[in-house]
Amino acid sequence: MPVLAHRRDEIERLCAKYPSRRSALLPLLWMVQEQEGWVSQDSMREVADIIGCTAAEVYEVVSFYTMYNQKPTGRHHIQLCHTLACAICGSAEAGEYIKNKYGFTHGKSMSDDGRFSIVEVECIGACSNAPAMLVGETLYGDLTPESIDSILGAHA
Amino acid sequence: MPVVEYEKALLPNIASNETEWLKAYEAGGGYAALKRALGMTPEELVNIVKDSGLRGRGGAGFPTGMKWSFLPKGAKPRYLAVNADESEPGTCKDRPIMEKRPHLLIEGIVCSLLAIESEWAAIYIRGEYYNAAKVMQKAVDEAYAAGILGDNAMGSGKKAHIVVHRGAGAYICGEETSLLTSLEGYRGYPKLKPPFPAISGLYGKPTIINNVETLACVPLILTRGVEWFKSYVHEKSTGLRLYSVSGHVKRPGVYELPMTVTMKEMIYDYCGGIRNDHDLKFVIPGGSSSQWILPNNLDFALSVEGVASAGSMLGSAAIMVFDHTVCPVWAAVNTSAFYRHESCGQCTPCREGTAWMHKILMRIENGGATMKDLETLINVAGDGRPNTGMISGKSICALGDAAAWPVGSALKTFRHEFEEHIKLGYCPYKNKRYWMANGKFVNETFEHKPTWGAHH
Ligand SMILES: Cc1cc2nc3c(=O)[nH]c(=O)nc-3n(C[C@H](O)[C@H](O)[C@H](O)COP(=O)(O)O)c2cc1C
Ligand code: SF4
Ligand code: FES
Repeated sequence: MPVLAHRRDEIERLCAKYPSRRSALLPLLWMVQEQEGWVSQDSMREVADIIGCTAAEVYEVVSFYTMYNQKPTGRHHIQLCHTLACAICGSAEAGEYIKNKYGFTHGKSMSDDGRFSIVEVECIGACSNAPAMLVGETLYGDLTPESIDSILGAHA
Repeated sequence: MPVVEYEKALLPNIASNETEWLKAYEAGGGYAALKRALGMTPEELVNIVKDSGLRGRGGAGFPTGMKWSFLPKGAKPRYLAVNADESEPGTCKDRPIMEKRPHLLIEGIVCSLLAIESEWAAIYIRGEYYNAAKVMQKAVDEAYAAGILGDNAMGSGKKAHIVVHRGAGAYICGEETSLLTSLEGYRGYPKLKPPFPAISGLYGKPTIINNVETLACVPLILTRGVEWFKSYVHEKSTGLRLYSVSGHVKRPGVYELPMTVTMKEMIYDYCGGIRNDHDLKFVIPGGSSSQWILPNNLDFALSVEGVASAGSMLGSAAIMVFDHTVCPVWAAVNTSAFYRHESCGQCTPCREGTAWMHKILMRIENGGATMKDLETLINVAGDGRPNTGMISGKSICALGDAAAWPVGSALKTFRHEFEEHIKLGYCPYKNKRYWMANGKFVNETFEHKPTWGAHH
């Protein structure tokens, strides 16, 4: 199932912004992920056709960059920072708190209702507001148990 | 000591959560620098930036005007890549520039395009900065609509184009050659230098790479003047600087200050001292790849030269502060895990070395390490100085050095604590981590009182 067929004009405008078409590869993968929530192998083939390279080359790129999800995530994908500044300000405790609340365990990173998924990531550039996390595309810092409750509570 | 206040030229609106859009930026005198730049020759522009003494804010502190003058004469096209990857742990100062004053960056980019005689720039924004990318795109759209960007920029007949480009989660893409490979649509593998990007960069063409904050300084130099910029000076470091302060200070945040401010003033005056009035254990002055500094050594200026004189580096000016509850071995484990994860794996010393360091450090922290392990670790990591150990100076890019230096300096600074861990077979700092502001998870039963001073 092609996922970008209806966006051809937009795609051509995107490609035209760069001196070389290949440069549009990362933005196209973002387009897929923003629309579908993840990047499937089928969509990698589709992107390869648009760029004019092989599907293997697209996979090579997808597998290098940690933010491309190669499987579906929860409706709200949590990226919790565990790097140094956050780690000394309670990111492990924040992680425990979220995991207990939604029943995440080692090896199970999606809640049963598919509402949340979680991944621990390296520094997200919010170090002076540690501990910090992204929920979907929104950054939240200075996390406390109360703020976690209200932030996640607001994500249905 | 009373806090000395300085003007905020880069981010006067740092305290606000609002973006300064085009109208407000112009009302405050924005784009006057660009108008001035349009009346000047490229040589004049490069010379002004040279005279200002502006040095890169991304990490290496290279003189910006000099970098620009490395471009081969007459070679076209040439490109400008704006480094907004901001991934060095501790660093969070380019994001507020993009989110709060996007037009300052755009103006800096267009002035720089004129200086280096280029018509095309890409802003490479790390993937995690969803909002910064959105704000930058909207501001770029505003600038196109207003005729500031386009094929006839500000009616000058010159072309100036900006593309907002997003990364997708890879620290290594902040390294300049890796950034270019990534921008070309490939895995972000760094390349051996030379050739330097100024000779052969994006698509093999001459390319200048500059950090966001570096370029944001350019309009200020043009409107307020070289003398104003140079009035803030410590040795060869000029201008104001954005410091990202994180960790155990009472007031973490991003501070715009001259580089004459000392580390002691930063921690105790500007940031209010250590939380809960704890003792200071150590400081990382320039992002997680810089060497650790002890509390008996804080009277140095936060300039390139000042931090170097204290045995570390200013790097990206990201100051991380650690109180006495932080186990240095555990902190080294966390740091080495980062570099192990982020090594691109191209060269053996970095790929294997980062994994070795992390594995041995975990053994020391969690039990099961021997004194022989410590020797191996020292052999691999070195002593925190360039070209010591088995990684630094032996890899394609500086990530290898960045991984080795903090571990080497941790070993040098806290050797006795590493040995104590090995002798005990466990970490004596138990339940050491707690929440910052709120009381719930604070574990005040922390009791590890080292029998040694933190200083040598
Ligand atoms: C591993 C590594 C990561 C880097 N990450 C960044 C970064 O996130 N942002 C940045 O501006 N510079 C980063 N740099 C420095 C860049 O390679 C380059 O020196 C800088 O962008 C040049 O701009 P400047 O002269 O304006 O500082 C990094 C360097 C290395 C070796
Ligand atoms: S030093 Fe490390 S990150 Fe840099 S090219 Fe080599 S393996 Fe990759
Ligand atoms: S260390 Fe967590 S955001 Fe930087």
